[in-house]
Amino acid sequence: MDWQALWLSVRLGLFTVVILVPIAVALSRWIAITPKRGRGLVEAAVTLPLVLPPTVVGFYLLVSLGAGSWIGETWRALFGGGLAFSFEGLLVASVIVNLPFAVQPSQRAFEAIAPELREAAASCGMSWWRAFARIELPLAWPGILTGAVLTFAHTLGEFGVVLMVGGNIPGETRTIAIAIYDRVQAFDDGAAARMSAILLTISLLTIAVTFALSRRIGRRS
Amino acid sequence: MRPLTRRIVLLAAAGLALGLAGDDAGADGTPVIAAAADLQFALAEVAAAFMAETGQEVRLTFGSSGNLYRQIREGAPFELYLSADEQFVLDLAKDGLAVDEGALYAVGRLALFVPHGSPLEADGTLAGLKAALAEGHITRFAIANPEHAPYGRRAEEVLRHQGLWEDLAPKLVLGENVSQAAHFAAAGDAQGGIIAYSLALAPDIAALGESALIPEAWHAPLRQRMALLRGHGRIAAMFFDFMQTKPARTIMRRYGFVLPGEAM
Amino acid sequence: MTEDRVKGLSVALRQPGPIPLDVAFAVAPGELLALIGPSGSGKTTTLRAIAGHYRPVEGRISSGDTVWFDSMNHVNVPARRRRIGMVFQSYVLFPHLTAAGNVMAAMEDVPARQRRGEASALLARVHLAGLDDVRPAQLSGGQQQRVAVARALARRPDVLLLDEPFSAVDRPTRARLYVELAELRQTLSMPIILVTHDLDEAARLADTAAILSRGRIVASGPIEAVLPRTDLGDALDRDARSVLIHARVAAHDPSSGITTLAHPSGTFFHPLLDAAIGADVRLRIRARDVAIAVGDPGRLSIRNRLAATVTGIVEADPPMVEVHLDAAGDLLMASITTEAARALALHPGLPVTALIKSAAFDRVSLGPAEATDVRSVQR
Repeated sequence: MDWQALWLSVRLGLFTVVILVPIAVALSRWIAITPKRGRGLVEAAVTLPLVLPPTVVGFYLLVSLGAGSWIGETWRALFGGGLAFSFEGLLVASVIVNLPFAVQPSQRAFEAIAPELREAAASCGMSWWRAFARIELPLAWPGILTGAVLTFAHTLGEFGVVLMVGGNIPGETRTIAIAIYDRVQAFDDGAAARMSAILLTISLLTIAVTFALSRRIGRRS
Repeated sequence: MRPLTRRIVLLAAAGLALGLAGDDAGADGTPVIAAAADLQFALAEVAAAFMAETGQEVRLTFGSSGNLYRQIREGAPFELYLSADEQFVLDLAKDGLAVDEGALYAVGRLALFVPHGSPLEADGTLAGLKAALAEGHITRFAIANPEHAPYGRRAEEVLRHQGLWEDLAPKLVLGENVSQAAHFAAAGDAQGGIIAYSLALAPDIAALGESALIPEAWHAPLRQRMALLRGHGRIAAMFFDFMQTKPARTIMRRYGFVLPGEAM
Repeated sequence: MTEDRVKGLSVALRQPGPIPLDVAFAVAPGELLALIGPSGSGKTTTLRAIAGHYRPVEGRISSGDTVWFDSMNHVNVPARRRRIGMVFQSYVLFPHLTAAGNVMAAMEDVPARQRRGEASALLARVHLAGLDDVRPAQLSGGQQQRVAVARALARRPDVLLLDEPFSAVDRPTRARLYVELAELRQTLSMPIILVTHDLDEAARLADTAAILSRGRIVASGPIEAVLPRTDLGDALDRDARSVLIHARVAAHDPSSGITTLAHPSGTFFHPLLDAAIGADVRLRIRARDVAIAVGDPGRLSIRNRLAATVTGIVEADPPMVEVHLDAAGDLLMASITTEAARALALHPGLPVTALIKSAAFDRVSLGPAEATDVRSVQR
């Protein structure tokens, strides 16, 4: 049982959520209120990581973040270590890969808000920010939370991209999913089984939570 | 911003900063050693001995030598690299990614592994394999991926040498590294495989079947070289030295490695 | 509520499409203008343009000295900065806020400490006292509408806009709401625009009206003048043809439950009204509820009889015709069959008696003095 790997995965999941959710909220709201014609490109870009094979995503990320890339070199100049094969590199990859998971439920929640509600908020004299915080967010939060939960769960299980961008460095990039793979290779099925059981439990919990939240979204619209 | 909102934002920002800084502090100090997959069991024992002797910890990560070589080129933060093919180390040294050409730490051997219940016999001359192939008893055979795993490349050489490659190629299961190949070979779905001798001798794998050494004349030698990498620390250097001491060599010998300067 | 400067609204909009519009009108402080027309006539679009939710191609909208929209000078004040109170057709209450919460949502410029108190006061004003902490989902349609009105007023608007606010409630509730709105507006001094396709509503509540057809105003002016217009074809529903007549409260007889109203051409008998003697009452009389008698009508159950002279006969949907009468200077219309008109030999100049069933009155409004129908109070 690799507690370090589990803790690493949990940290990766939490940080991904913290960074991604505000981005996803802004992005999904923009998509929700933009007429269909103007948003096609953005929607496609957001959906892309969902459809692309993880290894393809991993490859492109490695090319853009690894040694020799200007992002990688800038990072190295600023912080010393490389971006690829580091926790921060995983974080960048995780944020990109989880974009559709965070955006899509949130987008549905914002789309469920009738445009007239925004008009009514405006007619009440509310500033844009006030209307967003006091009218839209309270109505959209189940969707946003669903996105956060899915992102967390998906990050825990992400394998292909993590392996390519992060390698298998204990304490740095050996997430629990990688650790399971690692233990199987080492013929340590016992440890692999224990860690898999934990991931399975987390997945089941995720499903339960998202179902409960979906019912709340249903009740509101 | 309402006071509660402000508090939450500050807390979150603090948490983020702490978390990101936190994990770096913990990871410092313990060097990461990248090792070829055939050292899966042997090196774990060496590391334990190192810990017992010096009280220092190391972190091990295994993979195919080619894969690890690529990761090092991409900036992976390894401090010591133990390759199963010395050419990788020499290349890194030429480009300054390794501090020097390092040292030869072992010569590896290939073994034929057959799991229990397989129609194959553990015959190092591969005569049994040839016969079984002709009779159609072979559906799956495991080796490491010749593209980037030295043990896989040598396995291919052996099979070509014996004229088995053409017929066996469509039935091959390629392991991403020789450890995964051992897994495929031992799991039972394949009728057997050519894997590292050091893995075949490991108790966990040995228990699952039988193995036989393959003549080393049939393939290029598996000269396994290690080198300290640019930016390495003190502990990594200590481990590099430890690998060449008697206790380490004894462990390596037990796993079937031929040590530099000794004959088989 | 104090209104410091009372501002009139001035609107002029023009665009070829997607919804054609060509309107220009002004609404004085305290005046209620009804925008009447069938769906697609552009009345809702006009309202939304005033609110700032729709940007027309060309035009000018101003409230007092403040210009909200001027296409020529590229002025377009966003909706949230226009001092308007809007009641949407479907109310659009915030579902996650209570009634008081909804009302307070419009109180951005009221100090936080005062908001709760003012919201409660507003809710009491629309007859919803005690329902402060109830969510919209638990309120009836009529109650939701009142919350919407309270929220619109909470904004302390310079203009009040009502977009078919009664269309989502059933008839009995609607009757009640008309009465409440009529009372409420006595206390309001800003211009009010009511969009409706229902002549009843307009007749009850409006001072002035503008009839829209395909984006153009085909008739406008005081409601009394617009309502009986015969030349408006499709714009006005034939069945609802009616006139508005003013009468004075003459006497009350509680024992028989009747109030007598005096008109120069005769007397009206109306169910008991809670109004002072001498108060001015505005009555709506539908053409189809008026019968004509030539000569002495004799003993009839119909007690409302006005002396009138035929001024004209107009073709209506066969087999009906519309007879126009002059009753001491007021216009009356009677809808009768062509046969009947021929049988009575009706012609302009002929003196007749107009007969109106008592129950046919739509008591519309009671002039500036506060007055209520005793029956509505009991409801």
